[in-house]
Amino acid sequence: MRVPLTVATAFLLMTFGTVWLLDAGQLKPVELIPTLTGETEYCLTCHEDLPEISAAHPVATFGCVLCHGGERLALDADVAHSSMRGGANPSDLAVVEASCGGGDCHSGTEAEQRDHIHRVMTSVQSTYAGAIASIRYTYGAQPDQGAYLGISSITDEPSATGIGSLDTFDSLSESHPSVKAFGENCLTCHLNAVPRDGEAFTRSTGCASCHAVGEHTLSTAIPYAQCNACHNRGNYDLRTMTFVERTDEAATRIQDYYQPIAQFTQCEYTLDCIDCHTRSEVMGDGDLHASKKDIQYVQCKTCHGTLTELPHTRILTDPDDIAFTMAFLNPVVDLQLGDTVLVTEEGEPLWNTRLLPDGTYAMIGKASRQEFTFRPVMGTACEQNPEEQGSQYCHECHAVER
Amino acid sequence: MRPGFVQHLHPPTIPAAQARWRHTLGAGGIAIFLALVLAITGILEMFYYVPEPVQAAHSVQQITYHVPFGALTRNLHYWAAQLLLVVAGIHLLRVVFTAVYSRTRRFNYLLGLALFVLVILLDFTGYILRWDIDVCWPLVTGTNLLKTVPLLGGLLYRMAVGGGEACSTALIRFYTWHIFGLSIFVVVLGVWHAFRVRRDGGIAVPPPKKRAAPERISRDELVRREVLAMLVVGAALLLLASVAPAPIASAMTQPPTVTAEARAPWFFLWVQRLLQWGDPFVLGVLVPLLVLAVLALIPYVLPQPAEEDIGRWFSRSGRAAQVVVSLVFVGVLALTLLQLAGA
Repeated sequence: MRVPLTVATAFLLMTFGTVWLLDAGQLKPVELIPTLTGETEYCLTCHEDLPEISAAHPVATFGCVLCHGGERLALDADVAHSSMRGGANPSDLAVVEASCGGGDCHSGTEAEQRDHIHRVMTSVQSTYAGAIASIRYTYGAQPDQGAYLGISSITDEPSATGIGSLDTFDSLSESHPSVKAFGENCLTCHLNAVPRDGEAFTRSTGCASCHAVGEHTLSTAIPYAQCNACHNRGNYDLRTMTFVERTDEAATRIQDYYQPIAQFTQCEYTLDCIDCHTRSEVMGDGDLHASKKDIQYVQCKTCHGTLTELPHTRILTDPDDIAFTMAFLNPVVDLQLGDTVLVTEEGEPLWNTRLLPDGTYAMIGKASRQEFTFRPVMGTACEQNPEEQGSQYCHECHAVER
Repeated sequence: MRPGFVQHLHPPTIPAAQARWRHTLGAGGIAIFLALVLAITGILEMFYYVPEPVQAAHSVQQITYHVPFGALTRNLHYWAAQLLLVVAGIHLLRVVFTAVYSRTRRFNYLLGLALFVLVILLDFTGYILRWDIDVCWPLVTGTNLLKTVPLLGGLLYRMAVGGGEACSTALIRFYTWHIFGLSIFVVVLGVWHAFRVRRDGGIAVPPPKKRAAPERISRDELVRREVLAMLVVGAALLLLASVAPAPIASAMTQPPTVTAEARAPWFFLWVQRLLQWGDPFVLGVLVPLLVLAVLALIPYVLPQPAEEDIGRWFSRSGRAAQVVVSLVFVGVLALTLLQLAGA
């Protein structure tokens, strides 16, 4: 009996040793107590080398869990990640209210300029209402081009657009085969959709579709290439209701910027999309719109004016002007009280522009940080008819040769 | 040398036949050892566990990932609990298959059966204390079964859950049942059970005149064997605990979401299978109670084993009991495997 006892004791001691060694091989936890939550989290144990997501969301303040969810104490990857919001993308529109909304962050009121989520949810980039209406009208599924259906059902307070709500577009309940095919093949661009396969289409969903400009990097300096993940990628063939990807390989920006048949001016391919297209155009103005055409309003004249009118300007006298917020978030210009910037017809400041003392204007690229100067049309030899301000009229003279 | 405390818990000598591994399988003794491991690791866990719905799962994660040797303690607690159920089951089978439930010992058989039920309830309440997303469904199902009991249902449910929804309010009750309510019964019944073994003449063997080998062993030898069993089981537990971690999942959400794989803990899989076939009260409450009643009635209803067959495996005079217990065991096992395969 003594021999088995000795052997068993040795066995037990060896097991203790093994257990000790296994325990010593465990990860050394990296602790973080974000000031906003005050709750310890250990995500940095594995993710310490991720870049700061943005200057507005420092990790020391926000931590990871406030936006991403997940199990803040777990050191096992599967457990830690199991309850994350939207997988790797907490800005997916299915979960955005809990993550980016966060109760009091991007889901506040219009007056506080915190209604981002509501604006995105109602924007045509999410609802796709115009395309859906147009296709259904074309194939006789609805009597007019009015917006009745969207990617998902949504309700909005009464607004000037007159559209109070949209029901969910369900291709399965459509009778015309082309509308069905449209539902199956053509809904890969809106902000909820998983993008098409292919490197050129690589983008996230939700807010990150536009704002995630690099690995774990959110930005308001969004280069044209980001927009190009959806735009300029090819054409719809309306007979077969399929998407025909462009096959040309763009070597230069001018080739990449527009498809072969389009006409455009130099500023259209040199600038980034967001240098001209404003936040309400791109992200929505908080109201449901029937189509892209109803929300997109910036034209050549917004910056250049017409033969008879100078472009609109505003002297920045209010320190709470949204222009200062925008310039703070993307500090490409050093805006000062008293500066004069261009504003759109709707009063949105083009905060990266400046009126120069000689009556010309300067613009700093929001993504490129390049400086451009330009002058108003008024007082030049431009042959425009002031009533004809569509871009096609400007392109007649100013289109560039490819 | 005068015997020490541990020696004194044992008789000076016992018949060698009572302490043969092949007779007892060591199951009763190992069960006591596992219960001790559970008590010690359980007390260690109580230093960190917070029985509060928002914090419970986080405190389990704290124990698992951040408390020095917390994962080991929790894994030991988990594996000791699972093994205790298995060992208690083996003990029950052994007792029936070796026909030791004679008239004088049948009250102790009932005590043992009650302990077995308590261990199942302790396993279930302990499982619920994880309070993560995986336990909500079994908790709701289990407590809803109480509601189906005619007349008493509402009262039973309120006793188990308190007011409100199971996944919101039941935690503090399950905690108290687990660490106090059920455990105190296990201690009392366990001591009584062991005392009755001693009072009934030690581990059951045929009377001396019918015994093949009348030799006896000293208590030192008995303690040595017990220590050997503890060392081997202890090492096995340690190995299990360090290579196979106890289940853990993300904290229960409010309102609770039912996970895709709604699965009962392994020892209730057979009930889960039954529940898919019809009335929850009949299949989820009555059938398990009936199984328990059948087991309890064995020494009272079936013919008594012959005196010389006591302690003999699969004797002819205990055949009826062997068949009944085997049928119950195979039935539960088959239902469990069915559920595993189907889920």
